This record gives sequence, structure tokens and C-alpha cells, in this order.
Amino acid sequence: MIKQSDRVSLSTIISPENVLFLESGISTEEAVRRLAERILPQVGAIIPRKALFDRLAEVEKLNQVLESGFYIPHAKFKELDNFKAVLGLSGEGITDPATGIKVKSALLLLSPHKPAFFQRHLNMLSLLSQTFQPALIEKLSALKEPSAVVSAIIKKA
Amino acid sequence: MVPPPNPRFKQVFVLSTAMLSFISFWKAASIVLCDFGSSAYYAGGIAMNAFGPAFPWFIMGVMLFSGLMLGIYTESCTMFTRGGVYVVVRAAMGKVMAKLSVSALLFDYTLTGPISSVTAGLYLGSLFENIFPLLNIHWQVPGRAFAVVFALLVTAYFWRANIRGIEESADNNSKIIGFVAVVAVALIIWAGVTLYVRGFTLPPFTPVFTPKALGWTSNFPWIKAIGAVGLLMAFGHSILALSGLETLAQVYREIEDPKVENLKKAVVVIFLFSVFFTGLLTFISALIIPPELIAGKYADNLLGGLAIELHGPYWARLFMQMAVVLSGTLMLVGAVNTSFVGSNGVLNRVADDGILHDWFRGIHKKYGTTYRMINIVAITQILIILISGGDIFLLGEAYSFGVLWSLTFDTLSMIILRFRKREEEREWMFPLNIKVNNIYVPIGMMAVLVVLLAATGMNMLTKKVATIGGVLFTLTFFTIFHISEKMNEKKAQLYARDEDPDEKLNLKQANDISAILPELSKPHRILVPVRNPNNLVHLKTVLETVEDEDTDIIVLSARIAKGLQSGEEVMSEEDKDLFSDVVLLAEKYGKTVKPLFLFSNDPFFSIAQVAQAAGCEEIVMGVSGATGAEVQMERLAMAWGMLKKPEVAGRSVLARVVWEGRQMTYQLS
Repeated sequence: MIKQSDRVSLSTIISPENVLFLESGISTEEAVRRLAERILPQVGAIIPRKALFDRLAEVEKLNQVLESGFYIPHAKFKELDNFKAVLGLSGEGITDPATGIKVKSALLLLSPHKPAFFQRHLNMLSLLSQTFQPALIEKLSALKEPSAVVSAIIKKA
Repeated sequence: MVPPPNPRFKQVFVLSTAMLSFISFWKAASIVLCDFGSSAYYAGGIAMNAFGPAFPWFIMGVMLFSGLMLGIYTESCTMFTRGGVYVVVRAAMGKVMAKLSVSALLFDYTLTGPISSVTAGLYLGSLFENIFPLLNIHWQVPGRAFAVVFALLVTAYFWRANIRGIEESADNNSKIIGFVAVVAVALIIWAGVTLYVRGFTLPPFTPVFTPKALGWTSNFPWIKAIGAVGLLMAFGHSILALSGLETLAQVYREIEDPKVENLKKAVVVIFLFSVFFTGLLTFISALIIPPELIAGKYADNLLGGLAIELHGPYWARLFMQMAVVLSGTLMLVGAVNTSFVGSNGVLNRVADDGILHDWFRGIHKKYGTTYRMINIVAITQILIILISGGDIFLLGEAYSFGVLWSLTFDTLSMIILRFRKREEEREWMFPLNIKVNNIYVPIGMMAVLVVLLAATGMNMLTKKVATIGGVLFTLTFFTIFHISEKMNEKKAQLYARDEDPDEKLNLKQANDISAILPELSKPHRILVPVRNPNNLVHLKTVLETVEDEDTDIIVLSARIAKGLQSGEEVMSEEDKDLFSDVVLLAEKYGKTVKPLFLFSNDPFFSIAQVAQAAGCEEIVMGVSGATGAEVQMERLAMAWGMLKKPEVAGRSVLARVVWEGRQMTYQLS
């Protein structure tokens, strides 16, 4: 059974100010870069900009786009104590060059790099992929208001 | 609930599991005994025919010697799960000697059928001779002709059965041996009473050879059939009673966990049964039946003769003879099947090693069996039966060639391996060793080899039929193997792959993974994804720790295939090699696994899908050198979440990544 302390919730990581609308025609690399720019103010005090971008470029090679069209670029930093996330939405979708899948939702997830937190990190990835199914992604891609996006996600989760 | 077929799984291949069911030590022993023990019905008569009334001493001696050979086979089995003479000799002395030894072994296996079926026919004929007058049927049963016809019918039956894919049923074997044991106990008790009533005289110990039994030695006056030479000659004429030991090596891979312990138990059962059944009954026969009757009337049906010569009313003795003939026929007929299964198995083994041309491995379109190999075995056996004309002594004369040579090669190889594989830890060692540096010098095995070499040399001189027939047969097969090997080497240079690479792997194909669900019957299930044959540490860990009785182990290989709608996905040679390694490992631990191969465009998705569909409680992965355990866990977590239905209450599933000395665990939610 999952320990109570390892339970995770999307409401703790997704808020209207962390929702970003991405224009079509950009690459997934560019999308990750923009999400990183958005998250930087939240973590900049403890993670240097270069360290953040270098790490994301490194892990981006390993991250895979899910068949549902959801993309979770993620990285772990020992400086963090809790999750940090930014959600990017693209109405037209961004084509992943490796798979050809149209990415309409991408969530940049930064997690604490601590052994005790690893179970929660995995639980969060699992919860995200479970929540962001094609129907929700389609619904989100039509929304224009960050608050509406967050409420649709919380409702689904 | 069975999930609907998933478009991500273009094709699912479920490997046949017939070869992965494991048997108890008793069933393993009974399979061996159906071959090894059946010589009790003819060995005594043949030995008597060769060197007179001293035969029971030597048959008993051979049976006691079988304990030593069983010891050597035990050590070889613990070293090679899929062993046997070919594998052991190849490891010790290389392919040429392996080809030579397996050719001799095939001579043994091929002759097992004719000698067993003809003997069964002779026993039946003898019984009918006693029964027909009581039924007012005045027909003189033509003993040998009847035996030939019966042998041909039995051979034809098992030819057809093996073409259709009959498995050597361990259940049937154990029932036969159980019945034979009951009959043997009854026979021994009754014989004891008879000896008590009539008294007895021990048979002479000195063998008296017929001119025929001296063979070419009669041309060398300086070789006197007396003293140690005489003993060796007589031993050589009795050694055919050892036929069937190779079956132990063939059946070892099927023995259940704990494998080595069960092997030892099987060996003890085989040894005791052989000493009491073949050794003691042959001895008792010599005490009860007058020598002139053994040499004449009962020469080719000794145990039937024993039954009819017991003390008591005729009807009771006739009833005992019926029981003996029935048990003997069942056992001997079982040995015919063993000869088909054994020959086919050995030929397949050498074919896997590339020394038999692919033509021989042609698969029957309907039954999926290697029908050409079975045809060759059947036709050879039929020819041998016809040539023998039902003469059991002629067959017995030829029989010992393959037995002795294969045992000699096996023993010599095991001695060499003590030096060549000195670092390899053995779970059991043949006794009498002297440790010099880090080598256990096998004094005990060397002594056995001396006896075998002496008997082999003597047999070459005394058994003309065996030497000529055996050498011709062995050279024929050796030539076939040699030419095949050269042709295969040439072919390998010309072609990158077979025309039909799936042809020779025993696969059944299903459209989705639900096909395997009905085959999962145990309360617990573990999924073990595999990818790299050099990284099966995690599977080994599972096989070491999981209880076979209550846990299904599903071994999954998900091959990445792009463009899944093409419908042209086939298993590659690498995939087959991977599964061969999986099967070998499972056999080594004697635990059942359910191999599953599928094409997918996302292996982690496949793992999650199979685990959820099969209701697995645990997923055990090996570490990936490319990504590392953490990334593997992340991908599995995402795939797991993507597939998980929110309305379904979450089961607790433990995911583990295992590598040398370490593991990472994650509770999938």
C-alpha cells in the first residue's frame, strides 16, 4: 500500500500562474525552454539558471512523449524540497520529431533529488499520466483561461 | 476482466510451455527406468547364451556398476542442465569427438526400439503358447516371426504417435513402473517361497564362452578367456543391461526444484530398482530355472520362464506369467517410445548446434514435429527388426557397442572437465578425489574409466556384429554430421537468415495477451521483463526466491517495432536466443515460466499492460545500462498511470529493478 506521506495531489503543483499557452510551430525543445523560463523565478534563488537549463537539456534526451499527446519533461534537483511545475498548452499541438506525436500538453516537473522523495516523484508521474488522458488534453487545448484550465484538471484528478 | 485487444500490440507470440513443465524425482526416475530397467527382460538370456550359467553374477555386477555410472551422470547433470553425451564431450574434447560419441549413442538409441519390441513380442508369443492349448486353440505360435510382426506394429504405432507429437508421458511412465514394481515384488516373494521349498545351488562364477561369444579373440590364442580377461569378456557381454542411462541426462532438465536434490533422489531410486529388479530377478531366475531351460526354452523370455517355473499350481503360475508379460510388454513398449523420443531429441540437439543439415529439421505442416528425423529413426528400426528376424541374441550382440562407447566418452569427458573447468563449482562430485592445488583429481572416475576402456576394447574383439554394425552406423552418422556441418557453414556465409526463421521455434501466435490468461492458474503472479540475454540477474533472483507451486512467472520480451500495422513482424534470431536463455535458466532452477513475446512500440507500456491484464503482484526488471534504474522506474510509472482506469480500485503492485547485489523498489499506485 502507498504510505500516506507518499500520496500526491495535482492541486499542490498546478496553479493558474503556472499555466502557459504555447504557440504552434515551435519545437519540443523550444517548448521546454519556455516552460523553464516560466519556472525559473520560482527556483532561481536556489538553482542557477545555467544549471537548470543544462540539466533540462540533458534529461530532455531521455524524456519521452506519451502516446496520449502528453509530455512530461522532468528533472530532479537536490536543492529542492518540493515539486515545482509549469503546464504548457498548445491548441494546434507541437510535433515531437522522434515519434511524430502531436503534443498538446506539456508539464515541466522539477522534483527534489532525495531518496525519500523518489516514491512521491514516481507517484506524481503516474498521477500526471493517468490524469492527462486524450479527452482532457483535447478539452484543455480549447480553453483560453488559466483558471479554467486548472479547474478542469483538478476536477478530473 | 480481460482487456480488449490493444492496437499497440500488433502481434503477441506465446511460446509453447510444454517443455517448461517440471516433474518430480519419482516421475523422472520412472522415465529412465522404462528404458534402463527394461533390459531385465532380455539381458540375462543374452548373457547366458554368451557365457553360460555364470551370467547372474555378471548381470548383478553390471547393475552394481550402474551405481558408479549414475554417479558420473549425476556430476555431469549438475554441470549441464541440458547435457547428455554430446554436450559433455563437446565441452571436454571438442566437436569432432562429440560427433563421434553422439553417433555411437544414436546406435544405442536406435537399437533400443528393435530389441525392446522384439523382446515384448517374444514374451507375448511365449505366453500365447501356454494359453492357447487351454483355450483349445491348436496353433503353434511362430515365436520369432510373431515377435517381428509385433515389433513392426509397435514401431509403426510409435512412428505415427511421434509424428503426431506424442510427449513421453511421465504420468504413464510412473504408472508402468508402479505396476512393474508390484509384479516384481510378487515375483520376488513367490520366488523366495519356491527357493525355501526347493532349496537352491548358487550358479558357478566362472564364465564358459561359446565359440561365437569369443568373436575374433579365437584367432588370437594368446588371449585366453580366463582370469581377468574372462571376467572382462563376460562383463562386456552383460553390459547391455546398462542401456538407458543417457535418458537420465535427457530428462534432468525437466526435474523440478530443488533440482539437484531431486536428481540425487531419482538416482537412488533408479539404482535400487535396477539392483533389485534387473539384478536380483535375473539372479533368482538362475537359481530356480534349470540351466538347460534358460539356454533353451526361456532364453528369450527369462522372467516369463521364472514365473512359470515357480512352485505352485499351474493356473497360479500362468496368472503370474500373464502379469510378468503384461508388465514387461508395457515397459518394453515404453522403451520403444523412449528410443523415438531420445533419438529425435539427440538429433534435434545436434541440429541446434549446426552439425545436422536443416533439411533434417523439416517441420511437419500439421503437427509441428521434426518428421524427417522421426522417419529416419523409424525406417532404420524397421530395417533392423527385419534383418534381425526376431533373433534377440543378434540384437543384443550389437546393442552393447553404443552403450559402452557413449559411457566411455562421457566418463573420459567428465575427467577432462575436472581439469579444464577446474574453477567451476560443482554441486556434487563423484567420490574419491585428491585435491592437488585447485584441482580435484578424479581418482574414482579414472578407475571407472579403466574398467570401461577394458570392457570396450574387449567387446570390440569379442562382438563381431556389434563392432562391424556399430562402426558402420557410427561412421555413417559421423559422415552425415560432418557433411551437414560443412554445408551449414557454407550456407551461413551465403545467407544472412533463414527463409522462415519462425519455422523451427515452437511458437503459437495469439492476437492479444488475453490468450495467455487462461494458462495462469496460480494464486500469485510475477512479471519479469527481459531484453538482454547477458542481463538475466533479475530473472535468476526471481527463480531463486519464488515458490513454483503458488506463483506464475511471466517472462516478457517486448520488442520495439515501428509501423506496427504492417503485419510483417517476425521474431529475430536474437529474440529466439533470448528465450532459449530464459528457458535454460528456468530449467536450471526447475521452475515453470510463461514466456511471452510481443511487438510493441513502447516496451514500458507493454509491461504495464501485461501486468495489469494478468493481475501481477510484482514486476521485476533488470537494470538498463542505457538509462539506469531511476529512468526505468519513471517510465514504468508513467505507463502504469496512463493505463490505469480511475474507476478501478488500485491494486498494490511492487516494481523492482534488480542488479548485482542491489535493487530499487517502487510501489505502483
